[in-house]
Parts: sequence; structure tokens; C-alpha cells
Amino acid sequence: MSQALNEHPRGAVPAFALRGVGKSYPGVTALADIDLEAFPGEVLAICGANGAGKSTMAKMIAGQERPSTGRVEIAGHPAAIVTPADAETAGVLLMHQEPLVIEDFTVEENVWLRRISSAGSNRPWRRLRRGGDPRTRQALDAVGLTDVAPDTLARELGPGPRQMLALSRTQVNEHRVLLLDETTASTTEEHFRDVLDLVDRERAAGVCVVFVSHRMDEVFAMADRIAVMRSGRLVEVLRTADTTPGAVIDLMIGESVAALEPLTLPVRPDEKPLLEVDDLAAGSARDVTFRVGPGEVVGIYGLVGSGRSSVARSIAGHQPRRGGRVQVHGRDVHARSPRAALRAGLAYLTEDRRREGFVPAFTNGENMTLSTLPAFASRGVLRAGAERRRVQQLIAEFQVKGGPRTLTRTLSGGNQQKVILAKWLEAAPEVLILDEPTKGIDVGARANIYEIVRALAAQGRGVLVVTSEAEEALVLCNRVLIMRDGRLVDEFLPATSTTDDLIRAALGGDTA
Amino acid sequence: MTDVTAAAPSRRPSLGRPGIGRWAKEQYPLYILLVLLVIAGFSSDAFFTSRNLTNLVLQTSVIGIVTLAQFLIVLTGGIDISVGSVVGLSGVLAAGLFSGSSVVLAIVVAVLVGALIGTLNGYLVAFRGLEPFIVTLGMLALARGFVYAYTEGSPVRPEAENFRSIATATIAGFPVIGVIWLGLAVAIAFLARGTVFGRRIYAVGSSKDAAHASGVPVKATLVAVYAMAGVMVGFAGFLLASRVGAGTPTAGNLYELDSIAAVVIGGAALAGGKGRVFGAVVGTLIFAVITNLLVLLNVSTFLQDAFRGGLILLAVVLTTFRFSRGRDQSRR
Repeated sequence: MSQALNEHPRGAVPAFALRGVGKSYPGVTALADIDLEAFPGEVLAICGANGAGKSTMAKMIAGQERPSTGRVEIAGHPAAIVTPADAETAGVLLMHQEPLVIEDFTVEENVWLRRISSAGSNRPWRRLRRGGDPRTRQALDAVGLTDVAPDTLARELGPGPRQMLALSRTQVNEHRVLLLDETTASTTEEHFRDVLDLVDRERAAGVCVVFVSHRMDEVFAMADRIAVMRSGRLVEVLRTADTTPGAVIDLMIGESVAALEPLTLPVRPDEKPLLEVDDLAAGSARDVTFRVGPGEVVGIYGLVGSGRSSVARSIAGHQPRRGGRVQVHGRDVHARSPRAALRAGLAYLTEDRRREGFVPAFTNGENMTLSTLPAFASRGVLRAGAERRRVQQLIAEFQVKGGPRTLTRTLSGGNQQKVILAKWLEAAPEVLILDEPTKGIDVGARANIYEIVRALAAQGRGVLVVTSEAEEALVLCNRVLIMRDGRLVDEFLPATSTTDDLIRAALGGDTA
Repeated sequence: MTDVTAAAPSRRPSLGRPGIGRWAKEQYPLYILLVLLVIAGFSSDAFFTSRNLTNLVLQTSVIGIVTLAQFLIVLTGGIDISVGSVVGLSGVLAAGLFSGSSVVLAIVVAVLVGALIGTLNGYLVAFRGLEPFIVTLGMLALARGFVYAYTEGSPVRPEAENFRSIATATIAGFPVIGVIWLGLAVAIAFLARGTVFGRRIYAVGSSKDAAHASGVPVKATLVAVYAMAGVMVGFAGFLLASRVGAGTPTAGNLYELDSIAAVVIGGAALAGGKGRVFGAVVGTLIFAVITNLLVLLNVSTFLQDAFRGGLILLAVVLTTFRFSRGRDQSRR
């Protein structure tokens, strides 16, 4: 933020500049008062923990989010960037975390995708028949896809090559700012080299490359300067040559000591565990073994792509598993559907609230009772009075804003989450699995939700919390397991650990 | 967010019944029907005669039952365009198998034919993950093909002398067939709003993902709905054959379009999860009244179709007004 840090040795005109940019959503401030400049021919890394505002900032530069305050300027384009079209004409190219690839198009059509849609061409359909354009081959070679034929369907490519295919567009779209939003999160070591080469060439060509990442190895391999973000603020801009991975991680973490008191519930190690997971393999996770005892809240903390959600989803019947054993109360459970999991005493609060959390056409009341409907019916006929009374109790108990007849989808994220929690607690599960329980939820509701979880544990139920927020893991859990590259690699007790410890363990020991 | 009663700490709005005012605001189809009835009364002396009204009920009941079946399927987010062919197939088989010698056997045949086809549709949609439109499109052609193959193009006359009795009987002057239709409507309305099964249909229709994640047996619910719809459509096929006195090969033609239109005009969303039986009944009546009126006014058959098409468009446009003035505009 201090002007000195933003200054560039070459003293050139910045390729883009953020001037006092902020972004707030109802109840949440995603970005506050960002001043940042980046220059042609330099590589700027944006680092930060999950939820620090990195992606929001990248989207802002690309015109995909409008700033609530301040403005975004691109050199040679004096007007403020407000829409994606503005950014495109100004020469900003954004590569998303999930590669934007159309599966039913050929590789070649995907390479030229932006040019098809660009308004500049008066005969856009000709772009589709670009069969044999030598530039397609060059573009693919430039990103290491030398053995991919242009007429292959994109759906035949794996995640890594897809990402590289998206990146090949840098070769055919003119641009002066290239934004990479965690582009390497799903690429392998091999493609990682290709990305490095690409970034080097871009830099040499005078492009300003901005990449968002929390992986210290790639940050230090590529970046000239590092902008560190924390809780929506720009903390510091450092020259890579003058710093170390440890120092950057320190800045990412800050002194954000847990504001809430850590949980010190009496764990009952003597009692038989409620949930026993042995050698579970699912998705990218493997060899996962852990226990959740009665009254215990166990956390799994890991970065995006570490396999933390696969563990939760496969236990709860949302995703098939490749191997391993899950027991509830000593009984084997192999749930192939959420319904089966529920019968076995496992409830799963989804990370994807909008898609799986609640029925959009339903009121709060209808959503709360959906999983336990037979309890409010005799011989399949609903007992409206019993249902209504119970719903009113739940609404009061969980402090849900809006009555039983309000549509759940019209509520704020926090209140929606309370409705979903009420639904699951109504099912009285032995073990409740929470996947990112406070994602996108404001502070007040967050405290509510923590209270609910603790009360549940106090009743002797087991809770498994999957989270990408170290602070949450420490505040909410009795034990925190660390997941990295599909395996559980470490365990911490909140009383004797800091967010710092967790993040370091999740990032990998070599960066400490 | 709707913050209607910010000041009152009591849970007043929660307890509330929807309220007659709010209910009335959402009854566009009913108003269309009332306006049509008024127009009908003024433009033709013959409309409000007991003979014409009886006729109207007779003509409407079969398509009315088919519409109830279509309503259930649309509620799940699906669509069934095979209903017309199934009406035809169950009708000719009811009249033709066992020589149509017993009414009871005829009903059993018709219902079984409908149940079989409905269950097959449901299986393909739920367990094979196929698009309802394509599945039922195939079934439309298949069933109609069987009809023509079985009848070789000419009507099938049943032997039983009382084959027409259900369709012609009256209770206190009201046609029995109409009583069956309205009875079924009441039963389906109860099923939809008052049972666990009905609640699950709405959940599946609104979001299969959320329903599945909440432990709703999505596939079983879908199959059950298609099977039930098949039973009703098969029974409707028998009623039509009974009314006509024979299984005709073209029976049920275009019922799929009329029933879908009636369901949509009645306020159900083709995307699923939204709609009331009452609306579907009113939608059916709107169609019946306008068809009846056009006949009374001697409008040419060709123009009649244009009128009906225009009516569908008008009614659907009206429902969009209701949406855009609704309380919540965030998503459709």
C-alpha cells in the first residue's frame, strides 16, 4: 500500500492500475481499498490464504466483477474497466481456475474460441472453418500440447491438458495483461514446466503477467514481485529477490489469532468411536484413516484439491469410493446414496449450498422437514399441524430470519445454512459431516453456526468438519487433521497450535 | 429479502394462511375462464343450456384426466408426449381384447396397458437418465404404430352392450364421467399437497440434486409418478372408447399438446416443482369452453386451431406478468 512498494524500477507507465478499489457484498467486504500497479514485462504474483480476496481482485481487473468503490485502469485505455468487453478491448486476458473449455468443440475451435465471439470480425463463422491454420499448431506447441491433434474433441483431454488448451489462447489473442487465476492448481509437474516457459516468453514480449496462487514454489519460480493479501486487504508488495517463502507465508497468515475461544470440550477417548474410517480411497484421497468419538469435533484442513471434500462426500454416499472401510457404531457402512448414509446415521452438509443444500421452490418449513417427512406423517399422509408446530420450534431454536413460509432461496447465506442445519439435526444423525460450513457466511451467522455445532457435540454426537479456513479449524475442532495431496499428513490440537502451523503443514513442510 | 413485518416480533406472517388476497392475485387462469364464460353467455344463447353444458363435460372429462396425469409429470420437471397415443392404444385394446365382452375386463386391460407404458417411460427416465421428451416421443410413435397395426385403420367395436354405460350414465343429471374426472382431480390435489409422496414430487421437480442430497428417493419417486400417470391415461383411453362406443385408431390424437398447454396455462412451470391441480383443471376448462364456443358460433374448424393457439400464447404471456411483479425477482 505504501507508494514506495508500488514503484517500479523501470518507471514505465503501468500496464494496469487499481485505484482505491473495494468490493462488498451484502454483509461481507471482499476487498477494501486496494491500490496496486503492475508494469509491462513483469510477473506479479498475488498471494493469500483461502478467502483473502485474490480471485475477486483478478476478476475485477478482467471486468467480471464491478468494483463497489474506486476504479480499474488499463494503460492505453483511459476509461475505467467495468465490463468484460471493456477489459477485452483493453487487452486483458483472464485464465480461470477452472479452464473454460467447451467439451463438444474440437481443440482447434477451443483455441480460437474468443475470436469466434469477438465482435471485431464481420464474418465470425469463418473462424470455425479454420481447418489447417498453421497458427493453431503453433499455439498448441507453445503450451506443450505437441501430441494433441487440432481436430480432437476437447472432452477427450484430461484436466491438465484442458488447462493448457485454455492457455494456448494466449497465442492467438492479443493482450497486454495476462491474468492466471490459480491456473496451475490442477496441472501436473510436466505442464508446470510449460506454464513456466509460457510465462517467461510473455514477460520477454512485454506482457504484464499476474498470477494468483498460494503455492510458494511456483510463486518463487516465476514472480518478479509478490503482492500479499489478507482478509480483503493488500498487506504488502515485495520484490521476490528480497524475500523468502517463509516471510511471505507469515504475511499471508498475519497475526490473526483466533478471535473466538478455542473449543476445550472434554474429549472422551475411552469411549468407542462413533465413526471409524480405515484406508479410505475416493477421488484424489487415499489411505485416509481416522476416528471421530462421541462428543468430538474433528477437523480436516487442506487446500483446494487436497482431497478433503472427497473424504467427506464418499463417507456420506455422495461419491463412490475405491476402497477402505467406514464404520458407524462399529457397523460397516457403505452408503451408495445420501439416503443410505442418512439411514446409517450420517448426515452431510454440502459445500455447494445453492445446488444441493435446499430445494429452491420450497419454503423454510418444507426444506427443514424434507429429510424426515415420514416422521410428520401417518401412512404417508402429512400431519400438517405437527409439521407446522415443529417447524416453528426449529425456526425459533435456530434463529432463522423469515418465517416458515418464506422461500429459503430468498434468505442470506447464513440463514440458508441454518435452515439446512436444522434439516440435518432433525434427522438426528450419529455423525454430522460439515463441508465448509461457513463458506460465504457473515460473522454473526458464523458464530450461531459454531454454537449449534458445539451443542450437538455436547449431546454426544460426532462432528466432522471439512474446512479450508485454518482459523475455523482451530476454533471449532477438538483435533485438526491436515490433508495434503490426498493424504492425511499431520494432526494438531488447537490448544497447542496456531493457524500458522496448520497452513504450513497443508502447504508442505519444505516451504517452512 | 422480504422483510414484511420488521417491527412485529410476533411470528404473525408465519402462522398465516396464504390469505384470500394473495391467492386471488395468482389466479390469472381463473379470470381468463370467467371472462370466457361471460363472453360465451353473451355471444351464444345455446351456451348456458343444460344440454350444451352436459356435452361440454362429456367432451372435457377425458382430456381432463389426461391433463391430471400430465400435471404430475410436469411437476417432476418432465413431460409426457406419449399420452395421446396411449389413450389410443388402451382404447382399442380395451374394446378389442376378449372381444370387448366385459366392461370390467376392458377397464383392466386399459389400465394395465397404461401402467405398463408409464412404468417403462419412468424406468427409462429415472434409471437410464434419458430425456423425458425423447423417451415419450419414441413411445408416442410406438404406441400409435401398435394402434394402427392392431386396428388396421378401422374402429374396433366391443361386444358388450353396456360398454357405453359409464360414459352415458348420469347422477342427478350430471354425467358420471365428469364425476370421475373431478373426483380424480380432488384425489390428485390431496396427493400433491397432503402426502409425503406429493411433497417429494415437488422436491424432485424443483431440484433433483437437492432432493437426492436430502435423502429423497428420486428415482423411485419418478417411476411411481410415470406409472401413476400411465394408469390414469390408460383409464382415460377406456373412457374415451366408452363414450364413442368403439376403439378408434385416431383417438387421443394431439392430446399431448392440449394437456401440456392446459397444465402450463394453469400456472405450472415446465421446469418442474411448481403448480397446482386447481390450475390444471381450470386450464382444461378454458380449452373446453373456447372449443365449445367456437363450435356454437360456427367458426370454421381451421380457424378454431388458430384461436386455441392464440389463447395458449396469451395465457402464457399473462403468467410472465405475474412473475415479474412477484415478490422475488432474483431467479425465475
